[in-house]
Amino acid sequence: MKRIWTIARIELTRLLRDRSNLFFVFVFPLLLVLLIGAQFGGGGGVEVGAVAPDDEPAERLLETIEDAGGFRIVEVEDADRLRDEVSRGVLSAGVVLPDDYGARVVEVAPTEVAFIGRPDSTAASVRAVVSAAVAQQRQAGQAAALVDDQLEGGDRAALRTLALDLQEELDGVSVRAETVGTDEIGEQFAGLGPFDLGASSQLFLFTFLTSLASSAALIQLRQYGVAHRMLASPTPMRQIVGGLTAGRLLIALVQALYIVVATVVLFQVDWGDPLATGVVILLFSLVSAAAGMLIGAAMRNDNQASGVGVGLGIGFAALGGSMVPLELLPDGIRLVARITPHAWANEAMAEIVRRDAGLGDVLPQVLALGGFAAVLLVLGTLTLQRTLTR
Amino acid sequence: MTQVLRCDHLWKAFGDLQAVADISFTIDRGETYGLLGPNGAGKTTSISMVAGLLPPDAGEVFVAGERMHPRATTAKAAVGLVPQEVAIYPDLSARENLRFFGRLYALPQKELDARIDAVLEVIGLTDRASDRAGEYSGGMKRRLNIGIGLLHEPELLILDEPTVGVDPQSRNAILESVESLATDGLAVLYTTHYMEEAERLCDRIAIVDKGRMAAEGTRRELVATIGEQDLVRLDVAGDAPQAAAAIRQLDDLGSVDVEDQAVVCLLDGAAQRLPRLLGAVAEIGVAVMGVEVREPDLEDVFLHLTGAALRD
Repeated sequence: MKRIWTIARIELTRLLRDRSNLFFVFVFPLLLVLLIGAQFGGGGGVEVGAVAPDDEPAERLLETIEDAGGFRIVEVEDADRLRDEVSRGVLSAGVVLPDDYGARVVEVAPTEVAFIGRPDSTAASVRAVVSAAVAQQRQAGQAAALVDDQLEGGDRAALRTLALDLQEELDGVSVRAETVGTDEIGEQFAGLGPFDLGASSQLFLFTFLTSLASSAALIQLRQYGVAHRMLASPTPMRQIVGGLTAGRLLIALVQALYIVVATVVLFQVDWGDPLATGVVILLFSLVSAAAGMLIGAAMRNDNQASGVGVGLGIGFAALGGSMVPLELLPDGIRLVARITPHAWANEAMAEIVRRDAGLGDVLPQVLALGGFAAVLLVLGTLTLQRTLTR
Repeated sequence: MTQVLRCDHLWKAFGDLQAVADISFTIDRGETYGLLGPNGAGKTTSISMVAGLLPPDAGEVFVAGERMHPRATTAKAAVGLVPQEVAIYPDLSARENLRFFGRLYALPQKELDARIDAVLEVIGLTDRASDRAGEYSGGMKRRLNIGIGLLHEPELLILDEPTVGVDPQSRNAILESVESLATDGLAVLYTTHYMEEAERLCDRIAIVDKGRMAAEGTRRELVATIGEQDLVRLDVAGDAPQAAAAIRQLDDLGSVDVEDQAVVCLLDGAAQRLPRLLGAVAEIGVAVMGVEVREPDLEDVFLHLTGAALRD
């Protein structure tokens, strides 16, 4: 075991010694998580569009929304344009007030405020703020009407009964929410934090990519003659191959765990059930390590290995939902995506993070990842063993 | 003398290419044994079998009494291999490289630390031990390459062309190190295609060509295979093969070969017979530009045995 650990540790040391790797392993993944998080709904600088009449209650409502949510209200000409700008992402969400909004609020007549949002967490936040502001204005209107009607006197008990009756009978102002985009998709992403989606998908992208790109080290091992020197030592072949395999796994795990820890600390990402997430990440790291080993053993020079590694890493990530969520891909592509380990891993993490799934709920995905790992490990170790003695 | 290495009738082929054919030799403790031959002669294949990297198709290798094969651990522990390429991690320091390979030989930590310091001293890299090996000069890398082979105090050190691509100063330092190692009792198997290295270092030499051992012995024994003859070299300005043919007409000559623009002859009593040689060449109208008379060396032995120059 000591020799296996010695070989594995040197593989990791060599990866970390290469300064160009430091950016791609430690900085770039977090930049992408940040970028995706900002795009998906990062919180700051949220602009809410408003189609509203020029009257005092409407102005007060918009001010309340602006102050309570810390949003910026942007006036828009009409509801169609607002819908268009929200769906294109120009605005985070929007509200449409009827032309007679002021009069209806004063009269405590039933009024509908339309809310327009995309299927993301920012829209959900804005909607909550709008609902609260509208409720506050409705209560004020009701109180005003109540006092106005009953100012002449009457006992307190009658007023109380009347207020309760009014609360039940009056429809007041309500918010009708309209989600633009795809309703089904909205459901898929419900409850996600702004960085939750990017964190897991980037974890799979970078764990696989780093493992494949670093497979060039296996070719250098042969080119430098170090492989022959290792084989000339009393270390048995199985321990050399075991050490190199463990080295690739160590690299994959360091990359994956770094992203988990960094995104929890920096972005408060929710990774869901620790056991389920741990198993998925471990299996995906095994798949990545074995794929890296296969590339490193099969390719002839390190340029070839880096090229193929990066190509496959990016290609699989794109197809497997690490760049665009699987839910946004056409059905046919989603079917093809299942040839990638990324698709299974992303699907598992979607269940774990978005729907609080446990290990039992993601068993099919776990089994699929286990299958990938087993096949690639057998192919990788056999090919490596053959090329080391070449 | 204690025998450290015994190779019995080794054969190895790669497809149709017979890389090694019936090679046998032994090396005793404190002896330096050279495999001398041109590139592609089968030297590296031979030492790959000795180091347990390749299984022979036929024949056996014994190191320190243990049979060597790719899965042998005891025999491998007795061998220090210094490959032809500089087999080090360039992104690790000399100390880290030594520690890594030392652990592959399962040296205990304390012993390993002591051996690393000792080896760094021997190879003259103590001051640069913490620098990345990739930043070293070619000679320093070669020295580290040798140091790794010495780290676990092997009984047999295999040096495969250790001076290729090394500047003269570093080359001399390497040769001095090898001389001192043999004096300390190490058995050394040294492959080279530099005749002067084999002559300087090796107690016994095997001349290898096309996978076969053409001859084996001490330098004196090998030179004696040519006989007590002198070597005469005539550099000619005209047709060298025609000049060689003219010389061959003379009686009592050993071998007559053409080497570039020169005719190389082996003959007894060169001083007395030289005028007849020059006369024969002058008769056919070929001008002689230079004459050299000397004792033959290993290069000449190789030429005599194989019909080709060592550098070919």
